[in-house]
Amino acid sequence: MRLVKQSKGNWQYHLNHNEADILLGLVKKFPFTELSQIKISKTDNEPATVERGKLLNESLAEHRKALKTLAMNLLGNEKWQPSGEGQLLTLDSGSREILLQILNDIRVGCWHALGEPEVLESPAAHSSRKDLTYRKLMDLAGYFEMKFLEPEV
Amino acid sequence: MPSILEPATIPKPVIVKETSSDDDRAPTFYVICWNDPVNLMVYVTHVFMKIFGWEKQKAQKHMLEVHEKGKSALAREGMEKAEFYVHELQKYKLHATMEPAE
Repeated sequence: MRLVKQSKGNWQYHLNHNEADILLGLVKKFPFTELSQIKISKTDNEPATVERGKLLNESLAEHRKALKTLAMNLLGNEKWQPSGEGQLLTLDSGSREILLQILNDIRVGCWHALGEPEVLESPAAHSSRKDLTYRKLMDLAGYFEMKFLEPEV
Repeated sequence: MPSILEPATIPKPVIVKETSSDDDRAPTFYVICWNDPVNLMVYVTHVFMKIFGWEKQKAQKHMLEVHEKGKSALAREGMEKAEFYVHELQKYKLHATMEPAE
């Protein structure tokens, strides 16, 4: 996968067939994990802050639902064009951000599901099938994040 | 009969003396981003640039602070704005909280 063109808030990437299939699969099956509850503050436990935290979590849950809908739009043919040995994916700035949020939701969600390991090394030999799937999804999401942001490195 | 109803008297303008306002005394919060091993450095930099409108250099400085010191204070704001930033950062799945400044 590589950036082909960037102009006026539009990005065009070339993906080989395998990459295109995997990316579409990730977007199509999103979300893979339960949404984790977050704390709005580590030190402020005032009732008002706790209440705001609840609202924040509700809002994030709504946002995730919206991402799912927007994700389906990313599957639309108008964004994809066959090109030689693969596909061209054209994204405007907003769609690119949605895709990045989806990919990182997958990555971070899988990390939570794995028990939030401090070290992200190769999976242990005794890992369960489920854990191996989470690990693979996390790596794939990270791969695409890197590729989408590579021009910014 | 007048075609337009007019007030009998012109209301006097309300003059407010400039003293310390409620806003001055309102609590402020630090928007903190915490380190974790899962968010990629390039991704964190991108999100900071996007949300705060920072130049890449400033975004990278804060990203490195998160990475090396475990956290970085990204902004100091009133409650509403701090909450807004935490929400935006959390949409991108960064570990962000707001902590009272005093």
